[in-house]
Amino acid sequence: MDALSSRVAAGTFTSAPPSTGDTMTNVIEVNNLTKRFGKLAAVDDVSFSVRQGEIFGLLGENGAGKTTTIEILEGFQRADHGTALVLGVNPCLAHRGWHDRIGLVLQESDFDPVHTVNETLKLFASFFSNPRDVSETLKMVGLTDKAGERVGRLSGGQKRRVDVALGIIGHPEVLFLDEPTTGFDPVARREFWTVIEGLREVGTSIVLTTHYMEEAERLCDRLAIMAKGQIVAEGTSAALISAMGATTIRFELPADVEVSTLRSIAGADFILRDNLVEVLLGTGVAEVLLRLLQWSETTGVVLTRLEVVRPTLNDVFLGATGCDE
Amino acid sequence: MRFMRLSVAQAVYNLRAYLRSARTVVLGVVMPVGLLVILSWVFAHQGEIAAAAGYQISAIAFYAGGLTAYGLMLGTFTGVMVAVVSAREAGWLKRFRGSPMPPGAYLAGQIIFNVVISLGLVIVMMLIATLVYSLHVRTVALVAVFCYSLLGVFCFTAIALAITKVITTPEMASSVGPTATITLSFTSGVFLPPDLMPHWLTNVANYLPLEPLAQSMQSALASTVGTGFQLRTFVVLGIWGVVGFAVAQWTFTWQPLRR
Repeated sequence: MDALSSRVAAGTFTSAPPSTGDTMTNVIEVNNLTKRFGKLAAVDDVSFSVRQGEIFGLLGENGAGKTTTIEILEGFQRADHGTALVLGVNPCLAHRGWHDRIGLVLQESDFDPVHTVNETLKLFASFFSNPRDVSETLKMVGLTDKAGERVGRLSGGQKRRVDVALGIIGHPEVLFLDEPTTGFDPVARREFWTVIEGLREVGTSIVLTTHYMEEAERLCDRLAIMAKGQIVAEGTSAALISAMGATTIRFELPADVEVSTLRSIAGADFILRDNLVEVLLGTGVAEVLLRLLQWSETTGVVLTRLEVVRPTLNDVFLGATGCDE
Repeated sequence: MRFMRLSVAQAVYNLRAYLRSARTVVLGVVMPVGLLVILSWVFAHQGEIAAAAGYQISAIAFYAGGLTAYGLMLGTFTGVMVAVVSAREAGWLKRFRGSPMPPGAYLAGQIIFNVVISLGLVIVMMLIATLVYSLHVRTVALVAVFCYSLLGVFCFTAIALAITKVITTPEMASSVGPTATITLSFTSGVFLPPDLMPHWLTNVANYLPLEPLAQSMQSALASTVGTGFQLRTFVVLGIWGVVGFAVAQWTFTWQPLRR
């Protein structure tokens, strides 16, 4: 994996720069954005764009610069260098009319516990010029039966759904979701994904930060992986995975077989890892497999625990962020 | 129009939280009312108390006026501080900041809410003074006390907002508020006649907001003619209020301080 990870880390998998000038369909344009806290560059020369109606994912470990980037786009922080335009406007100079078109789900926030879910949503709905109906919004996030419950009595996952409800109640054109499913159980997470997919269907453009690869793979049309303030890979998850290219073939080394003999049998350099032999192949996967199976058939050697594994987004992530071993 | 609607929505939201939280009601109403009942009862035999040098008024006018001012500071100063700091640390203010609501509507909502609460307090205090202690509250005195209350809300809201930058937690806010109010009350002729205090201390208190407010309310209630209008009260509270808002304008943060 070393050669691969260095290729990913070197940025050879990053797709073409976004500056295509096609601002008509880009709701967000970020160019050379930099933000420093003292000596640390939290965001270091980052550029990307988000097209209308797509879900764009920002992935990275804690401290990679995702939240700083998203907070600049939300107008909470000012960039030191570079430009960020959201709906054609610099967020830190935006007036109230711009906020009317933006929805926010912050990474951390809490509510006044004594109000009901309904009352909380009603207050927020009153801020916007074209709010969604409160009961419709509750239905979208699956909280209809909690409408009359005080917010303080909700579970963590239910509170997070109230957060999302507040984010979407203004009919936003652009919705920012900062780690929306942290702390969710697997069932709640799946339900949440359905909510987000529903928003995409009605044309909402979404920027999502997450450190769940499964979530990014399922939801994001395109994504960027951040590490140490920089974008180290960008594209669709399918493109990133296929750019990673390699397929792994592995099985348990049969007794009385030397690893070195597999070279002449299968035509590939297998290595021994624990009890398993494996090889990472860019091309010729089918040929190697065929030779292995023919060998198995003619000699009667059983290929226990045989696996052919395509890389996942997680492998891309680990390669790109330099976190694999 | 939209601004007014949003301000009222904020005020209603605060009012609902207030009525649902026992702590705020105890602090804002039960405590001043209880003190009024007890202190007036204990000192009723005194007949008259020196509210200022050479100015004797009835014990009930002294306590009804002084404790209304006290309740007003306790409620507004503590209330605004706790409300703003809790909302800020919960990320609620940040969410407001990221919404199309004009920031001024949040402030206006706080002021409207505190005006409503304070008028409620004034009514309760005046009713007790009248019904239990037979204080004759003239209409003009009642109007004057209402007006002083509005001035007090303006001033204490401003001071509370100005110091939220150094109040890092809601717990801190809810201890700083009552501590400041009670300490100031001893030097401001609320619990005890000011002539029991060292001269220099009452001199200092004259320039702090509670003493003029208490004294104005006391003299409005004690006077038999007019309102006992005192320009000094408007000047002192006005300056504190304007300076408070100016400082708040500079230092106020919408984002949580803890991180």
